[in-house]
Amino acid sequence: MVPVLEWQAGTVTAIRGETRQVKSFTLALPKWMAHRPGQHYDVRLTAPDGYQTQRSYSIASPPERIGELELTVERIPDGEVSPYLHDVLMPGDQFEVRGPIGGYFVWDVSLGGPLVLVGGGSGVVPLMAMLRHRAVQHSTVPARILYSSRSAEDVIYRDELDGIAAADGTFEPFYTFTRQPPAGWTGYRRRIDAAMLAEVIRPFDKSARVYVCGPTLLVEAVANALVQMELPIEQIRTERFGPSGA
Amino acid sequence: MMNNDQTDMNTALMLDGNAVAGQLEQIFGRDMTMAIARCAGCARDARMGALMAFIRGPGVVLRCPACQNAIARIVETPSATYLEARGAAYLRMTPQT
Repeated sequence: MVPVLEWQAGTVTAIRGETRQVKSFTLALPKWMAHRPGQHYDVRLTAPDGYQTQRSYSIASPPERIGELELTVERIPDGEVSPYLHDVLMPGDQFEVRGPIGGYFVWDVSLGGPLVLVGGGSGVVPLMAMLRHRAVQHSTVPARILYSSRSAEDVIYRDELDGIAAADGTFEPFYTFTRQPPAGWTGYRRRIDAAMLAEVIRPFDKSARVYVCGPTLLVEAVANALVQMELPIEQIRTERFGPSGA
Repeated sequence: MMNNDQTDMNTALMLDGNAVAGQLEQIFGRDMTMAIARCAGCARDARMGALMAFIRGPGVVLRCPACQNAIARIVETPSATYLEARGAAYLRMTPQT
């Protein structure tokens, strides 16, 4: 059998702080392959004694960025991998990755829309790859994102999302804050629920293609609500990540 | 029987088949997340990417999202990979998926 997935050493070319707990790492890859928005890479770290540990991180960049990719990673305080990436890595350092991986939680312009993206916390990362790809392709597929964060400081890519919306009348972001909304906030201020989903999806009704990514309990709640709304199951794609940041 | 705390913890730690897509691709030599698994327990179909995945144990357990039957277990030892799939009636792959 042809080994399709090979580990390779990526070189960090840039590190950007997104929020207090989230950084984006740009990696140059010797064997770069175009990915599909929504796919992930596995990251493997090896200790001097040979102990290895592995996590999956979603690709944040669009496939149009040739030769490199960006992984956006939330720092999990007691995690094995993310504290190393956040606290130790410097531009020029290398770590092992394999990918791109996955064919289920993917969207590209050829799949069409209308598109409804639902994200919680760093679950927004693969959704951002879809939106960046959509923007680079000048796609006019109607798109909305419903994005749940604890507070205003925890919103990843806020300026970019608002920038895309300002330039593109066919895209609209909706934010909800579960702990501390910004001062003067008049939008949603609760966990994503069926009523909120119904409002965001309403103009598209049952034609919406919905991608949901976030903590397991958020994904469960949203997926159940979508099924209650009788959205065809083949139009729903979910990706869960655990509290320990897999 | 699991008590409620354990059930809640298992639910919170549950991922989906996407999380083991790399491991599956290593075994099958192709992406498996769009392949369909028919549950040997309830006979319902699910994309492998949508199976419930429990990855915090010594191995991986993939369960049917409809009836929670264990479709497959994967264990990697230093010298070998074990895939036990008694819970799958079949896996269906097409060149496109």
